[in-house]
Amino acid sequence: MPASRSMRLVESALRCYPQRWRSRHGDEATEIAILLIRDGTPARSIAWSYLVGAARARLVIGPRRRLGAAAGALLLAAGSLGVPLALLSSPTPANAASVAHSRAARGQTIRGQPVRGPLIRGEPVRGTGQGAAHQIAAAGHDRW
Amino acid sequence: MAAPGRDGAGGQDVLRRAGDASVLILTSLADGAKHGYALIQDIKGFAGLQLGPGTLYGALDRLERMGLIEALPAEDRRQPYRITAAGVVALRAHLDSIERVSSVGRLRLGLGRI
Repeated sequence: MPASRSMRLVESALRCYPQRWRSRHGDEATEIAILLIRDGTPARSIAWSYLVGAARARLVIGPRRRLGAAAGALLLAAGSLGVPLALLSSPTPANAASVAHSRAARGQTIRGQPVRGPLIRGEPVRGTGQGAAHQIAAAGHDRW
Repeated sequence: MAAPGRDGAGGQDVLRRAGDASVLILTSLADGAKHGYALIQDIKGFAGLQLGPGTLYGALDRLERMGLIEALPAEDRRQPYRITAAGVVALRAHLDSIERVSSVGRLRLGLGRI
């Protein structure tokens, strides 16, 4: 690999370090890379070592940023597990229960079948008034 | 700064979790101050392995945060480091710990003590 190309590779890896690190160690790190390449160390391996070092340097964070990092990590983990955020904030199941019961109360049908009220603990819901719909909605909330 | 323990059997080995690179660097600095490239060359000479420069700087930063080494005034672009008194104590405790493990291992292998 030509020397200029090798150094470009190493310098790209060094740019991954935080600015504070580069201002302190950057010049010496470049010089060490030049000397190691001159000794026969492949530039790729030097660049890789700096790249891993840069990742580690960025993982060392101050105590004030740890809370934010922890919250971010939790959100990322929830996202990667496929947990829909809607489940965490929306009362959709309760709404569905109250809609089903409202249809039953009004004698509506679905595909020709009369809509029966949802079951709570195996018992059909008795009563057809608005109060019963509220009971079911409340039961839905309790279950979620 | 992590407080290094006493040396000897009851001493706390603060280097146990610091990694091999940290121990190699402290060992190299035990006979005098060195900068990064000199450390790499010295370690290659006595341990037979070449530390990657990224590994070297990570270990130097960690040891400096622990108070086991300190940076000396830079010479041109080179930053020399030297071992501190706490670093000497920590290295001695770690070497004692390794020696105990080494002795037991040799005895159990029937090799005896060197």
